Amino acid sequence: MSAAPGSVGWLLRHELRLAWFNASGAKDGAGRRRPGNAALALVLLGWAALHLLAWVTVEKLAGVAGDDLRILLAISAVLAGGATFMLSSAIKSSVLVMFERSDLDLLLSSPLSSHSIFTVRLAGVAAGTAAIYLFFLAPFAHAGLLQGQWRWLGIYPGVISVAVLCSCMAMLLTLGLVRVLGARRTRVVAQVIGALAGALLVIASQLQSLSSRQSQGRVQGLIEGLLGQDGVTDNPLLLPARAMLGEPLPMLLLAFVAGLVFVLSARRTHRFFARGLQLAASAPRSAPARGMPRRHRFGRSLFASVVVKEWRLIVRDPHLLSQVLLQLLFLLPLFFLIFQRSEVQVQALGAGLALLCGSLTGALAWIALSAEDAPDLLLVSPASLPTVRRAKLAAAIMPVLALVAVPLLWLIARMPAAGLIVWFIVCGAVLGAGLIVFWCGRPGVRSNFKGRGKGGIVMNMLELFNNLAWGALGWFLAGAARAPLSDAGAMAVAGSGVLALVVLWVAWLLRVKQR
Amino acid sequence: MKTAAELSAPALRLAGLRKDFGRPAVDGLDLVVRRGEFYALLGPNGAGKTTTLRLVTGLLAPDAGSIEVLGIDLAGAPAAAKAKMAYLPDEPMLYGKLKPFEYLEFVAGLWGVRAEVAEPRARELLDWLDLGKHAHELTEGFSRGMKQKLALAGALVHDPELLILDEPLTGLDAAAARQVKDLLLAHVAKGGTVILTTHILEVAERLAQRIGIVRQGRLIAEGTLDELRALTQGGSLEDVFLQLTATP
Repeated sequence: MSAAPGSVGWLLRHELRLAWFNASGAKDGAGRRRPGNAALALVLLGWAALHLLAWVTVEKLAGVAGDDLRILLAISAVLAGGATFMLSSAIKSSVLVMFERSDLDLLLSSPLSSHSIFTVRLAGVAAGTAAIYLFFLAPFAHAGLLQGQWRWLGIYPGVISVAVLCSCMAMLLTLGLVRVLGARRTRVVAQVIGALAGALLVIASQLQSLSSRQSQGRVQGLIEGLLGQDGVTDNPLLLPARAMLGEPLPMLLLAFVAGLVFVLSARRTHRFFARGLQLAASAPRSAPARGMPRRHRFGRSLFASVVVKEWRLIVRDPHLLSQVLLQLLFLLPLFFLIFQRSEVQVQALGAGLALLCGSLTGALAWIALSAEDAPDLLLVSPASLPTVRRAKLAAAIMPVLALVAVPLLWLIARMPAAGLIVWFIVCGAVLGAGLIVFWCGRPGVRSNFKGRGKGGIVMNMLELFNNLAWGALGWFLAGAARAPLSDAGAMAVAGSGVLALVVLWVAWLLRVKQR
Repeated sequence: MKTAAELSAPALRLAGLRKDFGRPAVDGLDLVVRRGEFYALLGPNGAGKTTTLRLVTGLLAPDAGSIEVLGIDLAGAPAAAKAKMAYLPDEPMLYGKLKPFEYLEFVAGLWGVRAEVAEPRARELLDWLDLGKHAHELTEGFSRGMKQKLALAGALVHDPELLILDEPLTGLDAAAARQVKDLLLAHVAKGGTVILTTHILEVAERLAQRIGIVRQGRLIAEGTLDELRALTQGGSLEDVFLQLTATP
């Protein structure tokens, strides 16, 4: 039975349909956004494979006791990490549905109450947040059900309840943050939360190798102390983990708390929601200038004009800039490893810097070269297009080289031979990544920075191979500065060098003809 | 140094211009726009007006025919031809993250305008278009009218001899439309040439010295308003336009 038009159920269906269409960045022939059949088939295939994996895992874990403190602590830790990601994606979804979809004026001018609209929006955010986690975890619940291990069914109420709690918190945070920071900056905050959670997770996974033996012993002692205490498993902080393990009372309690928080959020905050929307709508989109206006420099050369323009556009787009820089955040744990125990690992530094700089250059070059906001302006001008494109390439390369200049100079001062080799490797990786985008980049829009890979798979593969080749060269050549290369090492250097050149040659062969 | 041929050449000469997108969008168009003229190109939706302008500005390559801008062959010397003209499409070509002065600074850089010429010109244009007080705000926060006016300032910052505008008054309020019209008339008064397309026939009637009407990619009538009236049963430009473009 379908819901009556204009009812809450009807609106919820509309909301879920929009979320489904947004699930894929691809457009169909009619220009509508919806996942394609091939993508759907791939997703279903992946889901079936997950069920197989889940079947084996559930079978193996059949004998593990659910009230083991170690298991509860591990699940709690995973839940805490997952909740941080959920919070991040829920804030992004909240900003999207509340401030960027531009359909609230239509909805609020309809006979539907603002309370119903807000409730449906909140439910939509919660559903979207839970969906991705259920995609990965539901196969375990299904496998448990088929194998008669009912406790695995706790995954459903557990994930949904945590998603609802995170969505309510995200919605309230969003409404507050948008009032203070504006919609765009709130998205950046959401992104930073997500990336920090990711980086912390990577660092946490490396804690064992990063921490000293003394610290490891202290942590082990703490856990053993906890294990020895009576009644520690009854701690309310472990309630979500116990709910996930299918204990009926914690499961019901968690679902009740989530339901209550949802109802209270929807009931008590929809006025705040309406006021937040009005404020967002009436707030000026661009802040007036503060202080004395800056003097402008007319008469720059074409090259300098383009470089300055590109830098201004990048620096002034915090959303884009955060996306670029957050990519690097994930590489930071690598540097923890490189500098551990106060000893510079030159090989790892060479490889790490090649990967980092290549990746950053690729991202900046895509922004400057492929995501031009006003391509027609450049085409109607008498400016030489090759000069403009070279300036854009330079605008992408220069900040990266400037960023690594200080650590490289420090390394050259400390270990001249190794430092010069790493410097050469970094320059090669940066130039290679930039040239690949220069030759093979296809036009895109800045707002689609995250989805740029979908539009140019070949370019992305070339970028990846470029970074890997220079990374490998960095590893082996930097090592050669300390000790002579073995035969295998020499072969690896030759292979990586050839790969780096072949990648560039392929990129040149596949170059897109520029008008 | 301009050659005698360039000096005596019209602002724009199109000969046998053709562009096909599956069906002909521009179909053997012949057109001459004189120097110092305000020329309006009219036609129903899909008549080929925008395609013609995009061909003239070099954004599209013609399938056949030739384009001469102020005596310079566009295909032979595109940079020289583009240096003399400016194009303002219906969707302004702006950068949301640049401030007006920075935008004009960039456009001046593209056209290679010297600082001592560009800077006072940019200030003058921004003041004239009432954008001076917004000169240090990002353009992403501008209204449609403000964006259109800034794009016009960008088109005029290098003082082009030929100014080509596609629906420049769409979405502008009365005050902004008046400012734009005044600026265009001033440009023609100084000896510049303006070619514009518009659906607001009153604008063409009041501003244009000559009017060309295209249909299905062909020029079906051209002349002053009186000459066009003589071709039909008279009346306003709207009457003339509707009679000429009515399906056979």
